[in-house]
Amino acid sequence: MRRLNQDAVIAIFLILASGVLFWSTFSIRSPDYGVLAPSAWPRVIIIVLAILSVIYLIQSVGKEQPAADQKAQAGRQPGVAGWLVYWKNPIFCFVLFLVYLLTLPLLGSLIGGVSFVFILMSILGGISKENVLTHATLALATVGGMWIIFTYGLEVILPQGVIFSAF
Amino acid sequence: MVIENVLAALNELATFQTALLMMIGVAGGLIAGAIPGFTIVMAVVLTLPFTFGMPAVQGIATMVSVLVGGLSGGLMAGILTGIPGTPSSVATTFDGYPMAKKGNAGLALGLGVWSSFFGGIISAILLMTLAPQLAQVGLEFQPWDYFMLVMFALTITASLAGKNLVKGLLAGVVGLLVRAVGEDEAVGMARLNFGNDALLQGFDFIAVLIGLFAFSRLLHDVRDPESAKRRLSGGEKQFTVNIEHLQAIKTIFKHWTLLIRSSLIGVFTGVLPGAGGSIANILAYDQAKKTSKNPEKFGKGTPEGIIAPESSNNAVEGGALMTLMALGIPGDVTAAVMLGALLVHDIVPSPTFIAEEPVLAYSIFLSFFFATFMMLGLQSGMLRVFVLVTRVRMYMLAAIILGLCGIGVYAINNIEFDLWTLLWFGILGFLMRQFGFPLAPMILGVVLGNIAELNLARAMAITTDLTPFVTRPWALFFLIIAIFSAVFPIYQNNRGQEKWTLFYLPLACFAAAVPLFMMGGLPRPTLAALVVLFGVYTLWRRAQSGWKLSPAVADDVTISEE
Repeated sequence: MRRLNQDAVIAIFLILASGVLFWSTFSIRSPDYGVLAPSAWPRVIIIVLAILSVIYLIQSVGKEQPAADQKAQAGRQPGVAGWLVYWKNPIFCFVLFLVYLLTLPLLGSLIGGVSFVFILMSILGGISKENVLTHATLALATVGGMWIIFTYGLEVILPQGVIFSAF
Repeated sequence: MVIENVLAALNELATFQTALLMMIGVAGGLIAGAIPGFTIVMAVVLTLPFTFGMPAVQGIATMVSVLVGGLSGGLMAGILTGIPGTPSSVATTFDGYPMAKKGNAGLALGLGVWSSFFGGIISAILLMTLAPQLAQVGLEFQPWDYFMLVMFALTITASLAGKNLVKGLLAGVVGLLVRAVGEDEAVGMARLNFGNDALLQGFDFIAVLIGLFAFSRLLHDVRDPESAKRRLSGGEKQFTVNIEHLQAIKTIFKHWTLLIRSSLIGVFTGVLPGAGGSIANILAYDQAKKTSKNPEKFGKGTPEGIIAPESSNNAVEGGALMTLMALGIPGDVTAAVMLGALLVHDIVPSPTFIAEEPVLAYSIFLSFFFATFMMLGLQSGMLRVFVLVTRVRMYMLAAIILGLCGIGVYAINNIEFDLWTLLWFGILGFLMRQFGFPLAPMILGVVLGNIAELNLARAMAITTDLTPFVTRPWALFFLIIAIFSAVFPIYQNNRGQEKWTLFYLPLACFAAAVPLFMMGGLPRPTLAALVVLFGVYTLWRRAQSGWKLSPAVADDVTISEE
């Protein structure tokens, strides 16, 4: 039954999102010239989205969760804690990337990038004496190498960050 | 004229720097294609930021080289470990791995390499000769036709991309919606930006693509902590293999009809919007088995089982580039990335592109050709690198690529907002994968969204009458095949069980013939007559067998994300 709920929830979310988006199209200004109003195309897409979402909702009613999906998540413990444990690696990645973005003005792409790769490797692969050295070397060589290519080879100005700019 | 263009293009490409970059591109593509979990799309996308500073020809040649290398790289992992490096080489493992296990790994690799080479060359020749012809046809297209062509591309991608057509269509529509965010193409009015100035420019296509494909895929791969720590392809194995070139060439020449047929299947699949290498290699394998004198040997290490999939998957991109260069419509997700690359270099493919920018167009054709030769030369050397790469653990690769994405995406426009786009679309792509939504239709939706809108606006500017969408021959043709491709998954599920499925193919033939007849002239009505005859013949055969339902033989045709 869980699959039914999941699909139905997505379908309901999409229907609601269609409603909000359709409502927002009324704030799109139309110029006095041109035949196709700027709001026309988004409205067509949103109407199709809403119709498909309703079909999706109808489809999801009365459907069991596929056996393959049930098997794929068989090892998952119930509850929020189980969900967090099951998805911990992707969650770490997202959170770390979010931290990387938030600290970009401070750390810049070199220090921030190397730190991001090193910390992510250490979280995903575990920390041991050999690992730390390998992770640090790989992070420095790859991100550092790419930073050098972009900065000096391709002359792309990457975010320097407050710390790096001080030197 | 063609020779002049080829020579001028040759002049553009024949520099040491371009040749070096192409070799690096092919080598990088071979390695990327060989790594399970590292897709061709990822490799091409990650190369893109490096090409910004290059001249257009050099940048595109490098990208094409990565693409060609990636198409061939998958066979190494597939044959030596049984784990396909890319979905394009799934069928190669069916016979490649058993042959390697029997102690013939050198011959299996040789067959794979040379089949890839010949498939690529056949495809490159067809690309160079047919793309200008297709562009001539494209010149006939009016806005109504283009709009319906985009609708057809989205429908067929949605129908092939998964078992649930509605989910595929939803993904495609969401892609169109994503593209509609920001200032509209025609008059520049702000849309769906909710007061956010950063959204006025819309979402950068490359950032969306990297987020949806690379970011989400990597997170999917590291979900299980144990498998994330394992070496790629179980790389504890040591491979000491010498590729048997001579024996492989002799074997391939013995099966030359199979080689040509499989290559043509690849090119045709590539031309078809939405279908790619993941379909072509299975189709070619299936055809090889059906037409073989020894079908019982398939799956046990027969050379035909390697020649067919490897020649077809390399031929696919020639077909995909054909529609991209001649019509501006990408044939598959990889071609969609290539379109993004072309746009970054201010190249806008369209039916007039080949005529107006012949040197640039032929440079792209030739780079595909040369990259195929380079792939052949580099494959043996890359085998050693492949062995080294398989020692890397998945989590290391994921962390490094995510870090590199952080720099590469920023470099596209030098704005931080693109990195946020990467993150949000990474999360969206991850969720879509988890909930069973295919990503290919969404990518095509993002790529084709503005083409559809622009042509709709043009059509409306000419006349507000909507009937040309169904009365113009090309528009009607695309509408008919869009309807039949939408019904295709239902047909596929019921084939061999329901009586109506016996009429699907003849009906599709009769319907498609109508607009062909309407086009006038001699060749197209003749083609229409042949299509009708084929439909009648199919009906007659079925009537002869007493309308008996025969069980479906081939596996379901669906796209795996490249």
